[in-house]
Amino acid sequence: MLSKKLELLGAEKHGAFGVDCETYHTAAAISSQGQTGKLMYVMHNSEYPLSCFALFENGPCLIADANFDTLMVKLKGFFQNAKANKIESRGTRYQYCDFLVKVGTVTMGPSARGISVEVEYCPCVIANDCWNLLMEFMQSFMGSHTPSIPSVFGTKHDSIYSPADTMVQYMELFNKIRKQQQVPVAGIR
Amino acid sequence: MADGVLSPGVNLEAFSQAIAAIQALRSSVTRVFDCLKDGMRNKETLEGREKGFVAAFQESLHSVSRDLGELERLSNLVGKPSENHPLHNSGLLSLDPVQDKTPLYSQLLQAYKWSNKLQYHAGLASGLLNQQSLKRSANQMGVSAKRRPKAQPTTLVLPPQAGLVATPELPILPHDSLREGSEKRIKDLFLLLRYVDDVINRIDRMFPEMSIQLSRPNGTSAMLLVTLGKVLKVIVVMRSLFIDRTIVKGYNENVYTDDGKLDIWSKSNYQVFQKVTDHATTALLHYQLPQMPDVVVRSFMTWLRSYIKLFQAPCQRCGKFLQDGLPPTWRDFRTLEAFHDTCRQ
Repeated sequence: MLSKKLELLGAEKHGAFGVDCETYHTAAAISSQGQTGKLMYVMHNSEYPLSCFALFENGPCLIADANFDTLMVKLKGFFQNAKANKIESRGTRYQYCDFLVKVGTVTMGPSARGISVEVEYCPCVIANDCWNLLMEFMQSFMGSHTPSIPSVFGTKHDSIYSPADTMVQYMELFNKIRKQQQVPVAGIR
Repeated sequence: MADGVLSPGVNLEAFSQAIAAIQALRSSVTRVFDCLKDGMRNKETLEGREKGFVAAFQESLHSVSRDLGELERLSNLVGKPSENHPLHNSGLLSLDPVQDKTPLYSQLLQAYKWSNKLQYHAGLASGLLNQQSLKRSANQMGVSAKRRPKAQPTTLVLPPQAGLVATPELPILPHDSLREGSEKRIKDLFLLLRYVDDVINRIDRMFPEMSIQLSRPNGTSAMLLVTLGKVLKVIVVMRSLFIDRTIVKGYNENVYTDDGKLDIWSKSNYQVFQKVTDHATTALLHYQLPQMPDVVVRSFMTWLRSYIKLFQAPCQRCGKFLQDGLPPTWRDFRTLEAFHDTCRQ
């Protein structure tokens, strides 16, 4: 239904996209030093095919080359892959003027868990500046489902938006989806 | 085939006769030269030899003139086939039997139509442009610029002649002045360059959220790279103190070409900035004050500065942010309020 509304608006299909996220547990060797076991997420985004994003919950975000994955295999002793927790979102990219909209289905294992909507306004590099503009755009096709301002924006003030910020939002979204079974919607950038 | 195309004006009969006449002419001319080559034949007396030679020579010359007269008469009968054709001689191309291989004739016709149309449209355009004379032309500037130093006292003391130099012929000045050997003009030129630098510097200091980089990649005329907050970048091409061209690009877009020069030709990838570029060009034409070019630059920059809220200001008319997927890209020249392109009065 969302895609139909977008197409009515005049958006054009522009290929496909995919974001995936794997979860790693810190192994006993590290967590025994008094810290609680932290989760690390390794994510890929088809928009940045040469990069690999490694994020800690509420923590730093590391952007590495795509062969970071092989490194993670070697680090098995420290980080263990939780296979069952792999979650991904795949769908279609739409382009409408300078907006880039990605509507994807979030799947975890074999089951579909929800829909993700990513909206990007490419000309603007400061997320807070164009938030009102984004809101208006999202209202035009999502109606009452328009999300409130993402938490990333609060901390960013007026620094330049980066791909890592998108990934943090995807991580938060995926976490939310894991916990609850509803259909949340995320507005990004 | 030739019958059909060469029209009734051509007399085929006369044609073949004329060809025969040409052959006759050629043979008689050959005879003249033969006669000259052979020289005097062997006769008993010297007198006899000369007589014989002269007679033969005279006769052959006569036959040449007779054949030539005949040819001239016939050529009048033949007429001029090419004149009947609208495309003159090029019309004969249509007679080419190998037309399928070389589509020269049809291409020629098309090119002809094109150039006709082009001429017509160019005529219309020049008529329209003459109606709306933009007061940016070089000559007016040169005259009025003379008065500028008096009208606008600046911190830099310009000699009165500097105004003369402020004409757009500037870029070729160094050559001329070298030829004339006049050092004064070079001095004036440098004073003018310093004056431009000075004006730009003052504007740069005036607006803290705006940074201006001045460069002169092509000699005297300056190019500015204006970065406005974290919103957009503008490339401004100047000709002394007059703005010639502006291009607006996104903050994250590349403004340099591969070899590190400012890219003054390519446009922005984003529709918003393409629109803003259009509006900025309109603004160039709007802010006109030939007597005080520095004021023009300053007001243009002030206008440009209002784009700092390009993505944040809603339209003053409809109160919305978006219209056809674009934010309010128009800024009023006087009030600097934001409007959508279609919402402005």
